[in-house]
Amino acid sequence: MNGQGLIKGLGITLKHFFQKEITEQYPDVMPELATRFRGCLQFEFEKCIACGICVNSCPNNVLSFETEKSENSKKKKLLSYTIDFQYCMFCNLCVEGCPKDCLHFDHDFELSTFSRDDIKRVYLRPAEMDEEKEADAAPVQDEQESKEQKQIDAMLKALQKNPQKILAKMLEQEEDIGILSELMQSNEKTAGKIAELLVKDKEKAAKVAAGFVTKEKKNRLQAEKGGEE
Amino acid sequence: MEHLFTNLATALTGWMITLGLSPVWADVILLLVKWIIIITIITLNIIILIWLERKVSAFFQERLGPNRLGPFGIFQTIADAIKLLTKEDIVPSAADKLIFKTAPMFFIVVAVMLYTVIPMGQGMEVINLNIGLLFFISMGSLSTIALLMAGWGSDNKWSLMGAVRSVAQMISYEIPLAFSLLGVVMISGSLNLQDIVAAQDNIWFVILQPIAFLTYFIAATAELNRGPFDMPEAEQELTGGAYTEYTGMRWALFFLAEYTNLVAVSALMATVFLGGWQGPWLPSWLWIIIKTYGVILVFFWVKWTFPRIRMDHLMSFSWKVLVPVSLGNILLTGAGIYFCQWMGWC
Repeated sequence: MNGQGLIKGLGITLKHFFQKEITEQYPDVMPELATRFRGCLQFEFEKCIACGICVNSCPNNVLSFETEKSENSKKKKLLSYTIDFQYCMFCNLCVEGCPKDCLHFDHDFELSTFSRDDIKRVYLRPAEMDEEKEADAAPVQDEQESKEQKQIDAMLKALQKNPQKILAKMLEQEEDIGILSELMQSNEKTAGKIAELLVKDKEKAAKVAAGFVTKEKKNRLQAEKGGEE
Repeated sequence: MEHLFTNLATALTGWMITLGLSPVWADVILLLVKWIIIITIITLNIIILIWLERKVSAFFQERLGPNRLGPFGIFQTIADAIKLLTKEDIVPSAADKLIFKTAPMFFIVVAVMLYTVIPMGQGMEVINLNIGLLFFISMGSLSTIALLMAGWGSDNKWSLMGAVRSVAQMISYEIPLAFSLLGVVMISGSLNLQDIVAAQDNIWFVILQPIAFLTYFIAATAELNRGPFDMPEAEQELTGGAYTEYTGMRWALFFLAEYTNLVAVSALMATVFLGGWQGPWLPSWLWIIIKTYGVILVFFWVKWTFPRIRMDHLMSFSWKVLVPVSLGNILLTGAGIYFCQWMGWC
C-alpha cells in the first residue's frame, strides 16, 4: 500500500524522539575515551637509550634528539628530545618502534596552543639524571675495594692453609720460609699484612716478607743469648 | 475562567461607554486592543515556536538543541532576535528597492490578517465573519504575492527561482486545500468558523472527513513552504530561495510570517477538523491552544522525518493525486448528505 513507508518513517523518528541524546557536552563533561585513544605523545627521558628508531620510523619528521659522547663509556648521552607536534599524524609508528617503551600516547587531546612555537615540545635532560650518575659512580669504587678485600681474604686463607707454597715465591731459603710461616701462625696481623701486599704489590710483599724474616732471626738470636745468660 | 477574556472585553467596552464614548467608537477601540493582543500573542508565540522547533528537531535527531541560554535554552530565540535587530540592513544596489522593502511587510501583514477570523474560544474572535473560511483561504493565498515580490525585487537568480517555485507550488496546492475544506462546509452548511465549531458539538469532522483531513494536512504543509515541501527555500539548492538577499530584521520578518502562518493554519485545522475550542473541563481558549500546538508538533514531526521532495513530483502529486482525491471527497460527502436526508437522519 502506498504511504506505508511514510508511516514507518514517522515511527522511526518518533522512536528516536524518546531515546536518550547522544550529544557529548564536551567542555563541561569530558568524553569517555577508548583505552587506545591517541592523544598527546609523551616521552620518558629516563628510559631512552637514544637508539634513533623512533626518528627513523616517523614519516613526518616529527621527532628529533641531540646526543653527546659519554666520557667513560660507549653509551650516547641524550641531551634533549624534541617532538614537533604540528606535523604529527598520530600514526603510532614511533611508539611501536621504541624498544624501551619510552614513547606513548596519553588521553590528552587538547593540543591547541596560542603560538606556533608552543606546539613544539622539547624535553631537556633532567638534572636529577646526572646527579644519579655521579651517585652511581661512587658505589663502583666501593665495589672495587670490596673486590680487593675479597681477594685479600682469599689470599689470607690460602696462606694459613698452605704457607710454604706461596711463600716459596718470595723467599729463597727454606729456613726463612719456615720462620715466616711460624710467625704468621702466631701473629694474625703479620699474615694479614703479607696477604694484602701479595694482592696489591708482589715485590713490596717480598721485601716486607724478607724484613719480617731478618727481624725474627735477630729476635731469636737475642732470645738465645738471653737464655744463655 | 471560561469567560475570562470575553468578560474583560465587555467590561472594557462598558467602561469606555461610561467615559462618554459612543458605542461605535468603543467597538473600534476594542478592535484595536484585540489587534494589539493578537500581535503580542503572535510575537510571543514565535519566540516559543522557534525554540520549540529547534528543541523538537534536536530530539528527533538525538541531539540536545539549544541549552545554553536560560533553563533548557529558552532565551535562545530572544538572543537571536536581538542579534537580528542589530544586524546591518543590506539592500542590494540592483534590487527593485520599493518591492524589495515592501515584500516582507506585505508577507507579515497577510499572515497576521489570518487571525481575524479564527475563533480562539467561545465568542472569542476579532470579527465574526460569515464568510470566515473563504476569507482565510483567500488571505492565505495572498502570501504567494509577497514571495513573488521578494524573489523579483531581489534581482537574484536564486531568489527568482525560489519565487517561481513558490508561486507554482502555492497555486497548485491552493486548489486541494480549498476543495478539502468544502466537504466540511457542506456538512456544517456554513462558512462561518464559529458555526463550523458549533457543528462539531457531537462529532469532530476529522472522523466524518478523514480524507479531507489528510488532504488538508498535505496541502497546508505545501502552502506553508515547510518540509518536505520547502522547495521555495531549499537552502541546499537555492541558498534560501526568495530570502537569499534579505538580511537582519527584513529576513526575520519573513521568518516571523512563516511561523505566524504555521500557527494560523494549525489553528484553522484544529477549528475545522478537531472540534475547535470545544472540549471538556478546560476553558475553551485553552483547548484551542492545546489543539493548535498538537497540530504544530505534528507539522514539526513531519518536517523532521521526510526528505525534501522533487519539484516535478510535488506538482504531479498535487494535480494527479490531491485534486482528484479532494474532488472525489466532495462527491462522496454530497452523496452521504443526500443519503442522510433520504433516510431522514438529518
